[in-house]
Amino acid sequence: MTQNNGHPQPAQPAQAAGQASDRADSQAGSQAANNQAANNQAGNRAQAPNGPKSSPLYGILTALGILIFAFLPMILSTLVGRSTPYWLDVVNTVGLYTILALSLNVILGHAGMFHMGHAAFFAIGAYSTAILNLTYGWSIMATMPVATLAAGFVALILAWPIIHLRGDYLLIVTIGIVEIVRIALTNNIFGLTGGSNGLVGIARPSLFGFRITSPKHFFYFIWTVVGLTILLFHWLENSRFGRARKFIKEDTVAAENMGVNTSRYKLMAFVVGAAWAGLAGTIFASRMRTISPETFVFSESVLLFTIVILGGKGSQKGVLLGSFLVIGLPEFFRGFEDKRLLVFGAALVVMMIFRPQGLLPSKQAHYKLPPGWADRLAQLPKPETNGPNGKRPPNGGAPPVAKPQNAPPEENGA
Amino acid sequence: MQILSLSSVTKTFGGLVAVAGVSCGVDRGAVVGLIGPNGAGKTTVFNLITGSIKPDDGHIFFSGHSIRGLSPHRIVALGIARTFQTIRLFQGLSVLENVLSGCHCRMRSGLVASLLRLPGQRREERLVIERAMGELEFVGLAGLWKATAGSLAYGDQRRLEIARALATEPKLLILDEPAGGMNEQETFELRELINLIRKRDITVLLIEHDMGFVMSVCDQVLVMENGILIAQGTPQEIQNNPKVIEAYLGLDDDD
Repeated sequence: MTQNNGHPQPAQPAQAAGQASDRADSQAGSQAANNQAANNQAGNRAQAPNGPKSSPLYGILTALGILIFAFLPMILSTLVGRSTPYWLDVVNTVGLYTILALSLNVILGHAGMFHMGHAAFFAIGAYSTAILNLTYGWSIMATMPVATLAAGFVALILAWPIIHLRGDYLLIVTIGIVEIVRIALTNNIFGLTGGSNGLVGIARPSLFGFRITSPKHFFYFIWTVVGLTILLFHWLENSRFGRARKFIKEDTVAAENMGVNTSRYKLMAFVVGAAWAGLAGTIFASRMRTISPETFVFSESVLLFTIVILGGKGSQKGVLLGSFLVIGLPEFFRGFEDKRLLVFGAALVVMMIFRPQGLLPSKQAHYKLPPGWADRLAQLPKPETNGPNGKRPPNGGAPPVAKPQNAPPEENGA
Repeated sequence: MQILSLSSVTKTFGGLVAVAGVSCGVDRGAVVGLIGPNGAGKTTVFNLITGSIKPDDGHIFFSGHSIRGLSPHRIVALGIARTFQTIRLFQGLSVLENVLSGCHCRMRSGLVASLLRLPGQRREERLVIERAMGELEFVGLAGLWKATAGSLAYGDQRRLEIARALATEPKLLILDEPAGGMNEQETFELRELINLIRKRDITVLLIEHDMGFVMSVCDQVLVMENGILIAQGTPQEIQNNPKVIEAYLGLDDDD
């Protein structure tokens, strides 16, 4: 099974991840890069115009972080020796949860919809892969698009009638969804899901004839998908589609009145997020080789919800950091057994009190003006030149008091 | 030729008749003011036109099409844009992004093009940023494109709302108390701005309490009281209309 362990890794997937993330304008990164970002942008949401994103140093540090991360298996083997596979497994689990949390971020973070049933779509993806592989003999990679579409399709059907619900109402319904899916799986629906025992013996994925088996293989496989996810969702976020979701989150009424079809975009955000969770399900099924309904319980959904809220709604960097903290960090404190969860819970409570926007909250999007605008703006008359915060000096501004001097209406005109 | 016409439009909230059988028209290219004491139903009329609420009865035609019962985003796509009485900008987003929200309905890039950043999508993004900056320049806010909308001065926020509405490429622009809370200088600038908007062949319909402003900027004035249209005509006619004078002197204690 693990005959490939000593074999040197092909550098190609790691490189792909590196390039992909580079082009994602340094969204991806290791913890090192994240820490750096945390220092730079601590609590400056309001005045973000010259964020660290534009500085070349930041880009270099991020690239360096990705490079170091790409060699993590080798670094780990010199650091921890024989327990390398264990720690790689932890990192892989973090990676898988990162994909899931990033997909939830599309729904919860960008569109602001309180969705706590994400494990349901994860389950649909995993079971689609397992059933297609075990019953129909499909290869894992062939099941991936089907699992993605299946999860997306089910999301479309389920979300259609509930998409107009707000906040807590939507939350309750999505909890219902995850329970329905779990119970359906436990009851061996259509005789396909194996009941509470689940499905056993799912094949390993193979890419271009290369079988992905060891934790090291999965490390490159999963984190390439993470990089790709970050890149695609970064593009999506900074597009017409992504902006529409931001408008909806800020003010649904105003968005609708500016011509955004709000229910359609909410539905689309939901479907995209759910479909991506289905894709994560494929990876999960082939990594674990065994799936059962217990894996997709409500608490998994809560965990994903926590990652997004803790990291910072709408911020991919925040979600990445959140996954490491929520999934990875507890592994370091295994020695404390049950107490670690107590500490973790307490830390969450404290965090939410002092930093409700999350550890790395999302920043203003960065736009590049078309050529020529820099000169045009430079020629503007004095009052337009703004201070560092983009605020106009108060002399030209009005006092924000309602109706100062239009009190007698008739006299003026009559 | 009338760009907008209402016929016997009625809207009740519970027992309260907010708009009672209002019939009126707005001429293409005109600047029309809708005035009346507080609670006369002016904003309700605006909400009915823009689709935020549905009329119980009556018909609304825009450019010859019935727009009754359409959802707000469809009505925006047809060419009616609005601003709000209380400013409803996307406070946390940048000035440029706020204007880009208006451009949304004139763009075509879909999910796949956005997800994969296809060349057509990138081209459209560049064009749309250019256009949004053009609108910002038009209202005099281009220099503040990076600022967070919520950090702008009050008058600038009002003008940003207008830029955002203009970005939808409207044929009819509906302004709900655009001069509310503005000082004299800002009101003067707003008047200039409305004249510039008119030159772009955009019809303007506005609610305003500042009579001096209404009388100087509007070609036509509609007067409402208790959900009923009590007068319409040129500013001159309105000022001499006994019904209007009575409505104002008798009822308006101006907050």
